[in-house]
Amino acid sequence: MTELDRSIYEWQLDLPGFGEAGQERLRNATALVSRVGGLGGPLALSLAAAGIGKLVLAHAGDLRLDDLNRQILMRHDGVGKPRVESLKATLRAFNPHIEVEAIPENVAESNAASLVGRADIVFGAAPLFEERFLLNRECVRQRKPLIDCAMYGLEGQVIPIVPGETPCLACLYPEVPEHWRRRFPVMGAVSALAANIGAMEGLKLLAGFGEVNLNRLLYFDTAAMRFQTVKIRRDPGCSVCGEI
Amino acid sequence: MPQLVFTYTGQLAAAAGAAEEAIEVAPGATLRSALDFLAARHGEAYARHLFHSDGRMRSTLLVVFDGEQAAGDKESLMLDGVGTVMLMTPIAGG
Repeated sequence: MTELDRSIYEWQLDLPGFGEAGQERLRNATALVSRVGGLGGPLALSLAAAGIGKLVLAHAGDLRLDDLNRQILMRHDGVGKPRVESLKATLRAFNPHIEVEAIPENVAESNAASLVGRADIVFGAAPLFEERFLLNRECVRQRKPLIDCAMYGLEGQVIPIVPGETPCLACLYPEVPEHWRRRFPVMGAVSALAANIGAMEGLKLLAGFGEVNLNRLLYFDTAAMRFQTVKIRRDPGCSVCGEI
Repeated sequence: MPQLVFTYTGQLAAAAGAAEEAIEVAPGATLRSALDFLAARHGEAYARHLFHSDGRMRSTLLVVFDGEQAAGDKESLMLDGVGTVMLMTPIAGG
């Protein structure tokens, strides 16, 4: 570890169970963040702040005005421009000592294996279940941990998935929910909260400290400021992870 | 009859118009019978998150008994001894 690293990460090096060994593990890790909107953007920022070695950001499309209530790393002058490039510039300015790769594509059949293959851990923050299930399937196939982050209204939830050890997304939701829609109510502070809980779970998994919320789903409702963990189960007949 | 608290998340909470409610259930009642009662009370906007159009319970409905995901076939789950039923519908990112 360099003196510069010690200076930048001094405040977290003192964390119990973390130390220089944890910092080195983060430095040597690559994280894929699927979608960098209201969830993935703040999540990527916290990974960058912690000193992760490399971020791979996957998100197609340009920033829209109606993204700005929650995509808090974007800027008004970025409207009409690619989100991943805006976020890459912000992250590089914030922490120039990490590597950031911006991929202007969403996770799809054509790229899922390649995107997951280049990461040590994956963070799922996509708005559509088809995309989330695809990411889940590929993470299970490649035995890569997936931190699934979600939100709705004033609520959020985070599920750390370790293939073979915990339920996967398909254990909990075996089919695409018929009535889910791409656009739904949410506030930016809620998405950033879910994002940072997800980031923390991933950082603990990567650096090997603390206790990851395995086999549990963290749910919160900021309307009543209620936080709850729910014990969840693997489905032995799961079509995605039932055989591992 | 004993009171049973139902709590809702996501789209189901929005459809119910409340995060929780309590109902009376008879000894030996099943989850299915309680959900049929609640679906009749709240109407189609609520019921569609629980049931397919053919009446089967949705696989995407996460049923939690007293903080733990309920095991087994949802259609035949019994409510005896359960204090709180949490019904969670899937949510995503964006």
